[in-house]
Amino acid sequence: MSNFKDAQNKAHPNKTNTLMSALIVILILNVSIQIWLLYTGLNNALGKNKDVALPAFIASLVLFLIGFFWLYFLPMGYREKKNK
Amino acid sequence: MSDQVNEPHWKRDFPIQRTEATKVSRRDFARFLCLVSGGLATGSAYVAVKANFFPPEEIKGEHFVCKAAGVPLGGTRSFVIEGSSIPYILIHLEDGSWRAYEQKCTHLSCAVYYKPGSGQIVCPCHEGFFDAMTGEVLAGPPPRPLPALEVVMRGEDVYVKAGNEGIAKNTGRM
Ligand code: FES
Repeated sequence: MSNFKDAQNKAHPNKTNTLMSALIVILILNVSIQIWLLYTGLNNALGKNKDVALPAFIASLVLFLIGFFWLYFLPMGYREKKNK
Repeated sequence: MSDQVNEPHWKRDFPIQRTEATKVSRRDFARFLCLVSGGLATGSAYVAVKANFFPPEEIKGEHFVCKAAGVPLGGTRSFVIEGSSIPYILIHLEDGSWRAYEQKCTHLSCAVYYKPGSGQIVCPCHEGFFDAMTGEVLAGPPPRPLPALEVVMRGEDVYVKAGNEGIAKNTGRM
């Protein structure tokens, strides 16, 4: 079966590099938002203001799932064809 | 994911071609970021579960602390309530009123103390200041006010009971 990966793997390194950087930037952004969510949720929970914790967790989970399925688009880089 | 690799791991970690080396490490970096992301989501889940299903237990009833004569004006006294290990501090303010707070700074749990004559509770660790009347944060890194207990006078005896939320409104900082 062939999918977009084959074309992606043969793409010019410049293209691959850009793609890779974009993916990593998005992941870093997700992680920063998650750090903020955790900090806020914890702070409010300790201040007897527990209503924030659950929405913060849901948002955090959604961000994680986005990041996880993002990985599917990671370029694999150039690989030499093995003849088996 | 469709990236079957038929090479041994050492070859992936130390590939012969330089281009492969850089690409592999960025892939791993992205995966690592995803792992961190999962860890943070787990942490948020823990906070949510703890906040909703295991709230900290409330103090029930009144507890005797000491005789009123034992604490002079501007003096303080540390105490614990039996059945719990949280240290508290009882303060006899200069205007004659009594206050009781948790003696744990809301920043990183250092022991706070009352600075006589200033009306302020001080945390020596990172220069955090609290208002001794209300427990509010005046300055420094602490994100929340000090949790307060209500002080009840019974003749010559000082008792404490669970604080009314009115004294210090506990709202977390964003
Ligand atoms: S622990 Fe009190 S200010 Fe940091």
